[in-house]
Amino acid sequence: MKYEMMDAKKIIGETTAEEADLNPNICVVSTDSAPRTGMGKFIEKYPNRYYEVGIMEQAAIGVSAGLAVTGKVPVFCAPAPFVTARPFEMFKIDVGYMHQNVKVIGRNCGFNYSDLGPTHYGLEDIALVRLIPDVVILAPIDASQLRGAMKAMLRYEGPVYLRIGTAPIPKIFNDDEFEIGKGIVVREGKDVAIITTGEISVNVFEAADKLAAAGIDAMVIAMPTIAPIDEEIIVKAAELTGKIVTVEEHFEVGGLGSAVSEVCAKSFQVPVKRIGVPQTYLSSGPYEDLVDYCKLSVEGITETVLEFVAK
Amino acid sequence: MKVNDINKLKATAAKCRQNVLRMIKANGSGHLGPAYSCIDIVTALYFYGMNVDPQDPSKADRDIFLLSAGHKGMAQYAVLAEAGFFDKSILDTFGQFKSRVPGHPDMHKLPGIEANTGSLGHGLNLACGIALGKRQDGYGSKVFVITGDGELAEGSNWEAAAIAAHYKLDNLVVFVDHNGLQISGQTKDVMSFEPIASHFAGFGWATKEIRGNDMDEIVAAIDQLPFEKGKPNLIVANTIKGCGFSKAENQVNYHYWNPSEADMALAEKELEDYLAGVQA
Repeated sequence: MKYEMMDAKKIIGETTAEEADLNPNICVVSTDSAPRTGMGKFIEKYPNRYYEVGIMEQAAIGVSAGLAVTGKVPVFCAPAPFVTARPFEMFKIDVGYMHQNVKVIGRNCGFNYSDLGPTHYGLEDIALVRLIPDVVILAPIDASQLRGAMKAMLRYEGPVYLRIGTAPIPKIFNDDEFEIGKGIVVREGKDVAIITTGEISVNVFEAADKLAAAGIDAMVIAMPTIAPIDEEIIVKAAELTGKIVTVEEHFEVGGLGSAVSEVCAKSFQVPVKRIGVPQTYLSSGPYEDLVDYCKLSVEGITETVLEFVAK
Repeated sequence: MKVNDINKLKATAAKCRQNVLRMIKANGSGHLGPAYSCIDIVTALYFYGMNVDPQDPSKADRDIFLLSAGHKGMAQYAVLAEAGFFDKSILDTFGQFKSRVPGHPDMHKLPGIEANTGSLGHGLNLACGIALGKRQDGYGSKVFVITGDGELAEGSNWEAAAIAAHYKLDNLVVFVDHNGLQISGQTKDVMSFEPIASHFAGFGWATKEIRGNDMDEIVAAIDQLPFEKGKPNLIVANTIKGCGFSKAENQVNYHYWNPSEADMALAEKELEDYLAGVQA
């Protein structure tokens, strides 16, 4: 691999501790999950701002919202299904409807827990949180963006959901500049636009090189904010290329692909091909096998785009 | 507390019940039974037990009140209006689209509302977070919550029961509005959580049982807070659903009331008579 690989949990923990030095209201809520989320340094430094509630995610969201009512900025990080699907109604009402300044991090999203299967896959988290009005959804592309997104999230006033896989993630971008709500054109192109989110994007960047070798000039857009979605960049790409492919380590339904399709349906209608995880309960197994099966590998993305462009 | 002051609270509770009727009249119907069963407690809290200021509803050291059973919202609106948190004319918009007194409380619409309740089993966990935050700030603020007895079937309450005891939240005070009735019948028949007090005691709470429509007993319980240092406080308030309107008391079909003119007139008359007696 040509990129330096970094520990996402370490970045989450470090940025939280750094921001906590600046903002005394930042606190950490844990469901037996924080010490394993790189929060060790924070806990050591600010034991009185660390709230362990044990394995009870509904309560953790409620307690977080309650802390926020008093002006605190709680950060709650645990595996993605357990901070979204499990306590969904608490997320919807206590965080969303009450519009509280709570920061929820769904870690080990996608197929990170490939050995544990559907109970632990994080494949519906974007879909669920997108249904809750006025919650920002972030899905950083690489280690630099994760660092930037963490800082932006902790400085933003309002509810945020950040999703990240926590296997080692590549450092692709040099600086950690991060603006909520903005997509980034990573590569200019005219034949097709590939819009991608999360750390699976590294495969898209490599696929774009293969496509170029095959004579396809693909535009690549990194979309580290899913909500609010950057409508402008999508419409521009649709106008310019006339064909859009979306790539995400999430169900094909409800995630980035849906968000992009909705923008196209509303503002500029072009064919959209969604590459993601099919709506089924996939077996556990090696991570690479799952990624291959869903055509999220470099080869899978390349093939799918070639077929789509040839249509 | 002096007898006179208790009488004043009783009169205030009756005026708050009048405010509830005002809302039901404006809308044509409403949750009379639940509002009437807890309104004496809500009155005692805002007019006696809590550090709150209608002129400065967001002051940092205030006590917090959460109506976990949000369908009793009319009780809170009635008391907030009586206390001067907002103009009583707002009560007349009850039931209208975009009303500031919606079916369930909305913190963004009215001063004095601290949470968006209505879905059951949310209040206690929110209250734990608020109690932790207030404690971290070093204010002596208390957090008061009213839950329904039927509401205790929501498992999230028992998550909060553990958290409150674990964190020794003696600034948390929960009244269970124990009127014994829920939509399908008697709570003990639908899903029993009896004996409520000993379940909470098992988690490590300090508990007390009172008659929840008896102003003397409510005030006495408030005066004894915290019941035990380092333990969250649980008060099983044995209440009468619909208390304050003879035809509604303990009647499950008055949970949601769609009154005839004659019934409304009777309800109003009973309150007037009561007020005349207590103010005499």
